[in-house]
Amino acid sequence: MRILDIAIKDLQQILRDRRAFLFIVAMPLVFTFFMGFAYRSMSQAPDPRLPIGLVDQDAGGELSQALGEGLAQAESFRLEAISAEQAENAVRSGKLAAALVVPPGFTRSVLAGTESQLELVVDPFSNRGQSVMEMVRPLVMHLYSSVEIAEMSLRAVESHIPFSSEVARQQELLAAFDTSWRAWDTSSEQGIAVEQVTSPPQAAHAEPFAGNPYNQASPGILVMFTLFGLITSATLLVQERRARTLQRMLTTALHTWEIMAGHLLAMFTLVLLQGLLLVVFGQLALGVNYLRQPLGVLLVMVSLAAWASALGLLIGTVAKGDEQVIVIAMISMFLLSALGGTWFPLEGAGRAFAAVGRLTPTAWAMTGFQNLLVRGLSFESTLLPFAIQLAYALGIFALAAWQFRRQAN
Amino acid sequence: MNDDLAIEVKELRKSFGSLQAVRGISFQAAKGEILSLLGPNGAGKSTTISMLAGLIAPDGGQASIMGHSITSQPHQARACVGVVPQDIALYPDLSARENLSFWGKMYGLRGAMLKSRVEEVLQVIGLTERQHDRVGAFSGGMKRRVNIGAALLHTPAVIIMDEPTVGIDPQSRRYILDNVKELMRQGMTVLYTTHYMEEAAELSDHIAIMDQGQIIAYGTHDELIRLVGEQTRLDLGLSVEAEGILPAWQEVEGVFQATASDGIATVLVDDSNRVLPRLFESAGKAGVRINSVDIHEPNLESVFLHLTGKALRDD
Repeated sequence: MRILDIAIKDLQQILRDRRAFLFIVAMPLVFTFFMGFAYRSMSQAPDPRLPIGLVDQDAGGELSQALGEGLAQAESFRLEAISAEQAENAVRSGKLAAALVVPPGFTRSVLAGTESQLELVVDPFSNRGQSVMEMVRPLVMHLYSSVEIAEMSLRAVESHIPFSSEVARQQELLAAFDTSWRAWDTSSEQGIAVEQVTSPPQAAHAEPFAGNPYNQASPGILVMFTLFGLITSATLLVQERRARTLQRMLTTALHTWEIMAGHLLAMFTLVLLQGLLLVVFGQLALGVNYLRQPLGVLLVMVSLAAWASALGLLIGTVAKGDEQVIVIAMISMFLLSALGGTWFPLEGAGRAFAAVGRLTPTAWAMTGFQNLLVRGLSFESTLLPFAIQLAYALGIFALAAWQFRRQAN
Repeated sequence: MNDDLAIEVKELRKSFGSLQAVRGISFQAAKGEILSLLGPNGAGKSTTISMLAGLIAPDGGQASIMGHSITSQPHQARACVGVVPQDIALYPDLSARENLSFWGKMYGLRGAMLKSRVEEVLQVIGLTERQHDRVGAFSGGMKRRVNIGAALLHTPAVIIMDEPTVGIDPQSRRYILDNVKELMRQGMTVLYTTHYMEEAAELSDHIAIMDQGQIIAYGTHDELIRLVGEQTRLDLGLSVEAEGILPAWQEVEGVFQATASDGIATVLVDDSNRVLPRLFESAGKAGVRINSVDIHEPNLESVFLHLTGKALRDD
């Protein structure tokens, strides 16, 4: 209960500070508009689809044909036929987001019930790579499941009326597969071997903003100003030490962790409220469809608020004065924002820049948002960004807690 | 453990690097009494109460508050204490009432009890009329009163006050001293640190005089005064260097000691009315003119001077 009292007191103090309105509300809204205009030209990219290569070594095979059709029909992909030799280099260089390799005799092997695996050449650590893996997997499962269903239905027929010849059986099996493939609407669990290669993103294939420049500007500014907003709450911690109110708290029966948790809760709430405000603004005024996957957006925001508030606690405990808070918070904001892709998508940056950028928690917050807003992926696509951001939160909090306890003692 | 004791300190020690801030001090405060720690800046008073308040851990020795050890039962000990820090430890952007409510909650008060205690404390500190004003807009004396009020909310058994009258106007000082006496009448035990001997003399049941991390004298006001043997100190300004007249004055009946420094002769006597005419007579005979006379009746300042050879307010 006293944790809540400390948090409420902090929020009371922050909201009475006129600078807070400027940092938390006014500036993010203005910057969102500004950045949105800046992205407008970038949003007119010629083809928003992810380039994916198909290496069809099973030419003429019914299953590989079905797979090619499925990929070609997928709205998210731009399919290119390539040779086996080209596949790895094309992915490594970033020309293709991934390449799907269909081995020789794939159709025959699968229909005969012998093992034959597709191979997806992909960089699993790139945003594009993750997206491709997520989108290709259901298609492949669809294929294998269709074969299995066709086989089962054939066995059922066969138990009553045996086929006159093996050729007749194969024809019937292919017909059953075709029916199942076209009727199929869900997925099952089947395997696909993924060969992992590392490639940089490439500017020429920068992800577009799905037709709305604010799909980048709105979450970008949200993430950036989350860090900017930390100035007010971290300053509060410094003032708490300077005014000796922290020491006074320590003379009560409070535990150190309760004091820390109270301040953290205030920062977390503030960041979350600021985020919600910007999400509502983005949804209503800028046409950013956050509410398409509200749970996914919430997961990204909660994990963002978790590490950002832990960072605020760390800045507040490390800084010796108000000026230091501003300097440290600004440096953190500019570094993490620029590296983490809040100003421009990391896919549009150079190889080294993007690699470093992906080490920042901001990049994972942006990945979570972009998976939902730009790539149109499902809620599940935010689980990895959520988990990684939480891991960052734990790490930063551990540092802040150590420093806080050191000061308290 | 003696049930009549609110505070019990035995051989408490604390060092900061090579500096021994507190050197094995021991003292006790009975329930309902006011005990003052009197000493100059740097004597170790604040370090001592910081240890009792749980802010810093002692290096050695033991201390308990209301029977709870400050080292093995710190939370129970702290729950019995209200600490009035030397600095104004309040939130300037919150009102007096909001500050008191917040600190009341930190002490575990809730609901109707919290509300009623805040009202009572606002009355005690005389700020009911200004309760909704921001503390940042208050005068130094008013801030001090809120600072004290915040420690009274949970009606603690022991109040620790660290130099609560530093830097305030005489009116607010009077207000605070009267409040401290009222707290004692309500049965609270007060541990009061000050370097103002008048405050220690007025308030205290017992006084512990500290210097260089040690308690150099402990007792009631009268007991401490008796340490200097009821001597009155005369500071006499002379027209010439005083050394020449000192041997003659030391022979005067009723003079215990005569010393000189910077043209001022300091003479310890048993009765100034009786001895002063004799000193004038002796000076006249020696051709020395006495320009000024300051008479100092025995007080805690004299005790400190007597025990340490330096003034209490030497910083």
